[in-house]
Amino acid sequence: MATKKKVTRKNTTTNKAKAKTKTPEETSPAMDNPYISASFWKAMWIICSISVLLEFFIHRHKHFEDLESSVLGNISNWFGFYGMFGLIACSGSILLAKGLSVFLKANEDYYDDTP
Amino acid sequence: MRIITMTLLNNIPPAFLLIIGAFVLLILPARARKVGAIALAFFGVYAVSQLVEGSNVTPEFLGFDLTLLRVDSTSKSFGYIFTLSAFGALIFSWSERCRLQNTAALVYVGSALGVVFAGDMISWYLFWELMAISSTFLILARNNKRSRLAAQRYILVHLGGGLVLLTGILLTIHETGSIDFTKENIYQNTVAKNFILIGILINAAAVPFSSWLPDAYPESTIFGGVILSAYTTKTAVYTLVRGFPGEEILIPIGCIMAVYGIIYALLENDIRRILAYSIINQVGFMICGIGIGTKLAIAGVVASTFCSIIYTSLLWMAAGAVMYRTNKSKCTELGGLYKTMPITMVLVMIGALAVSGAPLTSGFISKTLITAAAEHQNYLWAWLALKVASAGIMLHTGIKFPFFVFFNVDRGLRSKEAPRAMIAGMSLMAFLCIYLGLNPGQLYSIIPNSDILVEQVSFYAIYIKHFDHVATKFQMLLFSGLSFFLFLPMLKRTRTISIDFDWFYRKGAKLLYSGIDKTFNSINRAAEHIVIKTFLPSLVKFIINAPASLTIMLFRPIWEESLSADKTNIKKREQKIISQFSSGTFPVAYSAIFILIFIAILIFLGRSLS
Repeated sequence: MATKKKVTRKNTTTNKAKAKTKTPEETSPAMDNPYISASFWKAMWIICSISVLLEFFIHRHKHFEDLESSVLGNISNWFGFYGMFGLIACSGSILLAKGLSVFLKANEDYYDDTP
Repeated sequence: MRIITMTLLNNIPPAFLLIIGAFVLLILPARARKVGAIALAFFGVYAVSQLVEGSNVTPEFLGFDLTLLRVDSTSKSFGYIFTLSAFGALIFSWSERCRLQNTAALVYVGSALGVVFAGDMISWYLFWELMAISSTFLILARNNKRSRLAAQRYILVHLGGGLVLLTGILLTIHETGSIDFTKENIYQNTVAKNFILIGILINAAAVPFSSWLPDAYPESTIFGGVILSAYTTKTAVYTLVRGFPGEEILIPIGCIMAVYGIIYALLENDIRRILAYSIINQVGFMICGIGIGTKLAIAGVVASTFCSIIYTSLLWMAAGAVMYRTNKSKCTELGGLYKTMPITMVLVMIGALAVSGAPLTSGFISKTLITAAAEHQNYLWAWLALKVASAGIMLHTGIKFPFFVFFNVDRGLRSKEAPRAMIAGMSLMAFLCIYLGLNPGQLYSIIPNSDILVEQVSFYAIYIKHFDHVATKFQMLLFSGLSFFLFLPMLKRTRTISIDFDWFYRKGAKLLYSGIDKTFNSINRAAEHIVIKTFLPSLVKFIINAPASLTIMLFRPIWEESLSADKTNIKKREQKIISQFSSGTFPVAYSAIFILIFIAILIFLGRSLS
């Protein structure tokens, strides 16, 4: 069982390596799956974590001090609020857009017969 | 000599300089025309800088004194950016050969300047309409069927909006007798105020009057798109700053525009349509600021407009350069261009960072003022919506646009780098994005209400003293970017368009037409069936048969008595009477009896009436 697992893991790593070594000229234009390299992901995660950790060293001024009873007003002062907010707002927008696309998408020739 | 030119320029509205110059350029040969257009735009910047604060140039029109020059920090900042972006766009369009386009663009820019410096509502309206007409030529110049139809829809929407505005203006003049283009004058009559507000919001592309923008701009020429992106909506923002600061309804309208812009920009496949929705998102930001209406908010709105014109132009130029080189404009057809168009890519990245409001760019020092104003006024929801908007713009314009054009999948496009003139135009805009970001004091010194920004004019005050803002902004942008890459499979573009409000006048109008056609034609058919085929023949039949039937009805009791119910005999007599009536031949006695009855009726009627 354990060996099987190992084999599959090996396979995936070799596949990844293959994908990496593939030069752009070899990829067919019809293929539409952007490949984002593992090092890019690593860099992305590191920079994101640094931007959050930076908050330990700075003094953030308080938002909405007059609105103490407001839950949202208080949340805006939480640690890491901006990161969470960016992530949630953008993911929400993407999901909303994806959901609405069911109703809103039409073929490119949709308006061809209209004035 | 210098004093003479200065006093001369003080009294010439820059609008006339550009509009008259535009027509002079028409007769020049190609090279002189191009140089002349660029020089004219540059001279426009100089002419704006020479204007002295106050109101002057007041010719009489229809018994009213027009004010063609109302100069203050608000109109001057708009004047600067309008002429400056025209200068950049004209450099960019050096390889453009179309005679019509330069003239149309300069008239368009000139009339936008006319609106900005207008101190009364009549000249405002006249320049407003001239803007709509001249800009239509920039769409028509593409010269294909799609652009002609788009131009048709564009001009119809704007003429409609112009009429709404005119109604409001006329109502205001009727109510107050004054043509002053001020908030006090507009707010005298609520109905008039609402008409004016709707008229302006149509030009500002506010939801639901927004679809004309993504419908028309992407159909324009490459140069046309760059010019169009800067003026119509921003002029609308200017008039709102003048007439409606602090109008609270603008806060939700702005927030809705901002979010709507994000959703549609994410759905779009065409790069210039992505940028068109990005304009709506940004104008939403500004309109929200106008609704907040405090000194800080208005300063933020003017600063945002200033910076937004620069980076929006830059991105439209880049999209134009890509289209110029590849003849393609869709995310599904573009990709991997970083290899052959690296300079364009770098310039786009600067624009993308600026549009996202990244620190050290012009977006950071302008948009932040509006969010700060929302926070100071405790508009929590507006603040959150603005934050969503600034995170969202990072998503669709900051990352999606450059990613799908320059990276993503290599589609084997090996186009050359953009022409030098295009690079020069884009470089000027990119330079301004960074220059203003590093020297916020330069921008803050020309915008209105700059007195409240005294503490924040230096690089130190913004980036070092308030480092927490910089850090949190970075954090938000990074996580917005992270979500783009996390959801990348969902963002894969398809060869589709998204249905917007223009559905109502494109498909909807057709449905309405066929609906009206079906309803009224079926009513017509039913009426024909009932009146002509059923009612009228039976009426005719009744009129023909009535005298005979009435007579038979009168005689039947007598016959029944005298002939002791001999049915065949009665039938015979009935037949006889019917034939007599149909041929009009009666025995003399019958006629005499009828005449007597008739005279008796007449006498009776005459008596009773007298």
